[in-house]
Amino acid sequence: MLPQRMKKSITDNPKLANLIDLVNLSSPLREFVGQSRISHIGCFMRVWSYIKDNNLQDPTDKNLVNCDEKLRSILLGKPQVELAELPALVKLHFPRNQSNCAVPIMVLFFS
Amino acid sequence: MGKVPATLRSAVSNTLFKNQSSLVPLESPSQRPRHFPKKTPSQLPGKISHTQKTDFPETNNKSPILFKSPNLSDAKKLFNSFLATTRGPLNLRFHNSLLQSYAAISNVNDSISLLRHMIKTHPSFSPDRSTYHILLAQSCKAPDSTLASTHQALNLMLTNGFNPDKVTTDIAVRSLCSAGRIDHAVELVQELSRKHHAVPDTYTYNCLVKNLCKHRALSTVYNFIDEMRTTFDVKPDLVTYTILIDNVCNRKNLREAMWLVEVLAKDGFKPDCFVYNTIMKGHCMVSKGSEAIAVYKKMKENGVEPDLVTYNTLIFGLSKSRRVKEATKYLNIMKEMGHIPDTVTYTSLMNGLCREGDAMGALALLEEMEARGCSPNSCTYNTLLYGLCKSKLLDKGIELYGLMKEGGVELETACYSTFVRTLCREGRIAEAYEVFDYAVESKSLTTVAAYTTLESTLKSLKKAREQGKAI
Repeated sequence: MLPQRMKKSITDNPKLANLIDLVNLSSPLREFVGQSRISHIGCFMRVWSYIKDNNLQDPTDKNLVNCDEKLRSILLGKPQVELAELPALVKLHFPRNQSNCAVPIMVLFFS
Repeated sequence: MGKVPATLRSAVSNTLFKNQSSLVPLESPSQRPRHFPKKTPSQLPGKISHTQKTDFPETNNKSPILFKSPNLSDAKKLFNSFLATTRGPLNLRFHNSLLQSYAAISNVNDSISLLRHMIKTHPSFSPDRSTYHILLAQSCKAPDSTLASTHQALNLMLTNGFNPDKVTTDIAVRSLCSAGRIDHAVELVQELSRKHHAVPDTYTYNCLVKNLCKHRALSTVYNFIDEMRTTFDVKPDLVTYTILIDNVCNRKNLREAMWLVEVLAKDGFKPDCFVYNTIMKGHCMVSKGSEAIAVYKKMKENGVEPDLVTYNTLIFGLSKSRRVKEATKYLNIMKEMGHIPDTVTYTSLMNGLCREGDAMGALALLEEMEARGCSPNSCTYNTLLYGLCKSKLLDKGIELYGLMKEGGVELETACYSTFVRTLCREGRIAEAYEVFDYAVESKSLTTVAAYTTLESTLKSLKKAREQGKAI
């Protein structure tokens, strides 16, 4: 997808690497995208193009998305979402590595 | 351009300097491209390029690749079948181009073997200097850690009665430099000069100095120049000094540049337009507007006529150091002097106006430039869109974006981020998504970069909303 050099510079940055790493999906998401693994960014693009293809943006306010049943199944069951919160909602399916909680536990331990 | 500039500022400077080299052909129309087809064009004024020595057989480079495998016996077979089937005259050119084609994919030893085979099976063929130069170039381009194979090729040439001359030196130096073997190039130049009196001419010399400047410390370059001067009486010329000055200016070492100007005067040279332009560029890159003007005045004093590049550099520098009024003054002066302002001139000025927050003025300038038959480029549009967003003239910005989209103009990173941010702040999220789509679609940015910007913008928007700061 990307030129090799660019890909390398992305994978060197852990934050960006999270975006393009393939992740095993939960079952609702697997049904939505139709494959068992996808990257964070690939998933976002899929959801966004699904919204465009099915004209789900509210005709009076384009910033709002009226979810159909399929979309609702992956966006916390909300009937309507704001476009602005779409990245955050997609992100919920791609939790960070568990290493995040290591620090607080250590702090607890020593304090 | 898209990928290179991280900020709009550097984007403008990029076109500015690109333009410098694009001007070159106008000034020296007699130039012919050198025989190294992949040589990067010189950054500096064109005197560094060459007009001589076109006898080198790499002109055959465009012939289709005949040899598919580097295997020697295959190559010999192919050569034999050529001999059997070709009806035309089998001259030197024919043999050279065959050898050249094989050299492109084989190693030096195999090429030498093929040459021997050619001589044996076709005795009327007598290799000349250019034949051996093919082998020499091949040996220099190989990524070897020693000069052994180069010496092998040179010795073969010597035993067949061809003494290395300055063409030999030139080919060796350029091949070695293109393979990144700068130290070998220096070593070989000194060896060739010492043993065979094949002293480099100014073109070869300057090529090597330029490569040294690019990849080695300044002291190494000075050492090389000193050594060549004392040992072989090869002196730097004005072009050499221009290369050096450009190099130190790019490293923002203006003091060294000034010292070099003194040295070149002591050597009996008079700075020409290129030297002045280079120094001015150095001042402009560090936003020293007054110094740039001083250079301009000095040029006038010394009777050197400023050219389009001079004015473009000056206007760029003044715009960059927030002195648009003066920049506009020089725009008028240059028009009076009969120079036609080009896209770079106008874009620099627009950049200056946008820095002062006068995006409307910049927009007016766009109209003026178009009326004068000068068409804006992607840098112009990006500068303007950036400026309009910064000056909170979003509607004008969206209008301009429509034009850009129509013309398929790529968005630069800084411009894209600012535009997306401004749209989101105004609550026009859907439009921001649309810009995101366009950025990805037009390959202005990678999907990851475009998405990261959008995501972080929306995230900070959410934060601002929670604190009741935004809509």
